[in-house]
Amino acid sequence: MNALLVLSIAGLAALFSGFSHNKKLAVIVSLLGLAVAFTVNVLDWNTAVRYYNDMIFVDNYAIAFTGVMALTMLLIVALFVDYKESVEVPNAEIFALLFFSLAGGVMLVSYSNLLMLFLGIEILSIPLYILAGSKRHTLTSNEAAIKYFLLGAFASAFLLFGIVLIYGVTASFHIETIAAYIKNANGQPPALLVAGMFMLIGGLGFKISAAPFHFWTPDVYQGSPTIVTTFMSTVVKTAGIAAFYRLFAYAFPAITAEWIPTISVLAALTMTVGNVTAVFQSSVKRMLAYSGIAHAGYLLIAFVSISSNPASSVLYYLIAYAVSTVCAFAVLMVIQHTTGSEEVDGFKGLSKRSPFLAFITTVAFISLAGIPPTAGFFAKFYLFSGAVKAGHLWLTIIAVLNSCIAIYYYFRVITAVYSEGTDSTPVELGTVQKAVMIITAVLAVALGLFPEMIISLL
Amino acid sequence: MNSLNDYLPIGIQLIVALGFVVTTMVATALLGPKRKSKKKDEIFECGIESTGNARVPFSIKYFLVAILFVLFDVEVIFMYPWAVNFRELGLQGFLEMLVFIAFLLAGLIYIIKKGALKWE
Repeated sequence: MNALLVLSIAGLAALFSGFSHNKKLAVIVSLLGLAVAFTVNVLDWNTAVRYYNDMIFVDNYAIAFTGVMALTMLLIVALFVDYKESVEVPNAEIFALLFFSLAGGVMLVSYSNLLMLFLGIEILSIPLYILAGSKRHTLTSNEAAIKYFLLGAFASAFLLFGIVLIYGVTASFHIETIAAYIKNANGQPPALLVAGMFMLIGGLGFKISAAPFHFWTPDVYQGSPTIVTTFMSTVVKTAGIAAFYRLFAYAFPAITAEWIPTISVLAALTMTVGNVTAVFQSSVKRMLAYSGIAHAGYLLIAFVSISSNPASSVLYYLIAYAVSTVCAFAVLMVIQHTTGSEEVDGFKGLSKRSPFLAFITTVAFISLAGIPPTAGFFAKFYLFSGAVKAGHLWLTIIAVLNSCIAIYYYFRVITAVYSEGTDSTPVELGTVQKAVMIITAVLAVALGLFPEMIISLL
Repeated sequence: MNSLNDYLPIGIQLIVALGFVVTTMVATALLGPKRKSKKKDEIFECGIESTGNARVPFSIKYFLVAILFVLFDVEVIFMYPWAVNFRELGLQGFLEMLVFIAFLLAGLIYIIKKGALKWE
């Protein structure tokens, strides 16, 4: 809760630091704000306080996910120091928008009232619509903004309608009251409530880009400035998944029979669509967009074992995914700047141009592919073993098959890195950029070696 | 409240509302006399004769000012329910409203410093 206040004020501070003549001030203010928000957030650990007539419930779940999002954004803001792609909006305003978006994300992981869920989604999304279009004179960026805005508004309408239907039946927005109502119904929930629940699945499925609600993702991810794409595929995805999971863990645990079949099909579809389409992409940015869809599919697997509380597996997966994705995008930004392209061919000969970058790329993509000893492997392992224990063997088999497909397209980048290229000019890296890459790569390996650090948290 | 039958009155209401609109529109179109002339088909039947097209691009500044107006206009609307419940909400309500206004004030300062309200 205090993190929410700090983030809002830090957003304003970042906004006004843009008027200063010191160009670095905005970055410094933002990094400080995020560090303070993270600290304040962690200090609340194990307190579990309810705020504002039980609108927000800051339990350990909320604190853990808020911490992940704040740290991920810290890494992304640090990347801005050496960011070269032209964003035609001043940095200070980008930071402010990122902060406001993150504030929405914090509401999404700590809500205990469906109204706060809706508000959180809106506060998260509206700055993103602007950020997606922040390369104002580029057509693809404009397309990304308008597409994201129109479809996002449509999905919000679905979400809101779902909330309305549930309120109509239970006369409450409060997720625990809804859960109590369902429990009293003795496994026979009214049809309207179930209909409302499915509309919520649609609305939230759009946010986490689950198939068949994923069609906006590739265009928006590709059109936005790369740094905004990084934010969307890490922080926003974390917020979306955490909100989705929180809803089903708190409000609908008593009627798993109603929604587990739907969610399993959704998960299988999302994984398959994401992975199979990613194989055919020549642009790494677009490939990472599809891989983001696929990862949302893997995360949905956690929902089928919801009765055994897989929250920490979800947390671990999201951390592993965020770390590897930030790392991969950091490399992609360098490639984009030096070669002017985001194609797989742009990675050719990288091992000659910069052995350091080649190594970082390898770690990032190996972790995304889920190969030991990286975090990506154990993340998948915990999710899949949870599903097997819950008796969903077929879903796990599909997931494992999909992981094999994923290895193919991730390794296409790695083989490109170690193949001969035409260009052999060495790549120069900024200090902060290099530091972010090292931190994320080290984390991707360290988390894989010591998964208990995260797994024992929730 | 639980069965769908309870929503029947709403359904009937919907059908009646739609039915009324459709019936009256169809009836007037069928029953009414049709006398067309050039003058009658004009968009504005009186006043100065219209010239040119309404859909010409005009300065984005108008939109900006309009949107800013709506923003601060809505802000005032939020103060009415607060003012009505001022006593019940007490000190906490007052402080919350101060925070709300402070955030909007920050926005106002921002747009003035950005020069969004400068017309030239």
